Amino acid sequence: MVQISLPEKSQIKKGKYFKDKTGSENLKKVNVYRWDPSSGENPRIDTYEVDMDNCPSKVLDVLNKIKNEIDPTLAYRRSCAHGVCGSCAMNMAGKNGLACTTPHADIDGDIDIYPLPHLKVKKDLIGDLDGLYKQYQSIEPWLKSSSKSEVTEIFQSKEDRAKLDGAYECIMCACCSTSCPSYWWNGDKYLGPAVLLQAYRWIIDSRDEERQARLKKVADELKLYRCHTILNCTSACPKGLNPAKAIAEIKKMLATANI
Amino acid sequence: MENKPPLSPHIQVYRWQISSLVSISHRITGIINIIAISLICLLISLMFLSGSKHETIDLLLDSTVGKFIILGITWSFSFQILSEIRHLIMDFGYGFDLKTTKISGLIVIFGSVILTIIFFIIGKSFV
Repeated sequence: MVQISLPEKSQIKKGKYFKDKTGSENLKKVNVYRWDPSSGENPRIDTYEVDMDNCPSKVLDVLNKIKNEIDPTLAYRRSCAHGVCGSCAMNMAGKNGLACTTPHADIDGDIDIYPLPHLKVKKDLIGDLDGLYKQYQSIEPWLKSSSKSEVTEIFQSKEDRAKLDGAYECIMCACCSTSCPSYWWNGDKYLGPAVLLQAYRWIIDSRDEERQARLKKVADELKLYRCHTILNCTSACPKGLNPAKAIAEIKKMLATANI
Repeated sequence: MENKPPLSPHIQVYRWQISSLVSISHRITGIINIIAISLICLLISLMFLSGSKHETIDLLLDSTVGKFIILGITWSFSFQILSEIRHLIMDFGYGFDLKTTKISGLIVIFGSVILTIIFFIIGKSFV
């Protein structure tokens, strides 16, 4: 259901201000969403003055600097720092992306950092992605073939393999799904761009034998057709993939095939 | 004791993209158009029923508010037409490239204004 405003307990209050102690000339203000599960207070925005002269180039480096040098209580997910694991997905300057691949120099003025939109917050910048993982499980993201073909290698032509390009690279960081207004309002039923891109990845795999069943399963007013080509997903994807096009391809398959 | 988790901000913080702006405008103009068509039908049936007395309607449409409404509806229809064409092309699976979506979105936005002017000029020549 569409609800524009945030619930009362989710309203954001003004938080603490951490003044610079290094005496640097080159300061940048970083506004970070904070919520402490043990306090019972509303979420707040803490502002940190960060010395940019001694900070590497990415937003994740800024967060690391804050955590290491200013405020160790800040919580966020991160792991590889090379845009491969998808842990540090968050909302920076009003757009979802990976903190480790987003240069802070690209952001004009203050750097605003929020958790991925419309998720239950576990702590600070950590959102709860359980719902998304359950939906991912529901599309059965594994190869399904009859027992006969399990004895021998299943061949795939170069052309068929090429169809998977742009789909298999997804790292499930959830930047796309949480950027989608349709997913905000109907996230409990609509599968969202990330999961639908994966559904597409298995539908078009030439080695998979359950294509019809997969298509039938996804052909649902709420699961699939809540996509209204808003295209926030494609513009958010840090890997340059195109979930919107994948969803359009699924719709096209359903419109042209007899199922 | 863990407290109930808050909902992270969504539409409050997410920056508008050209594509999302066109998408929401498409919906809004769609609703406006349905109301507008109903009103136009009502207006025409009123004209038929009232015989030769069109004075009130003429007066209404000649006023500043009336002109604004006419222009607004013309823009709303222009926008819907262009945006619908964009959606049709997308339904065929084309134009999903990030750059293309931006350009097609801008074409819809600026094209709707140009189309409104063209419709207005054509309409004016009939008066």
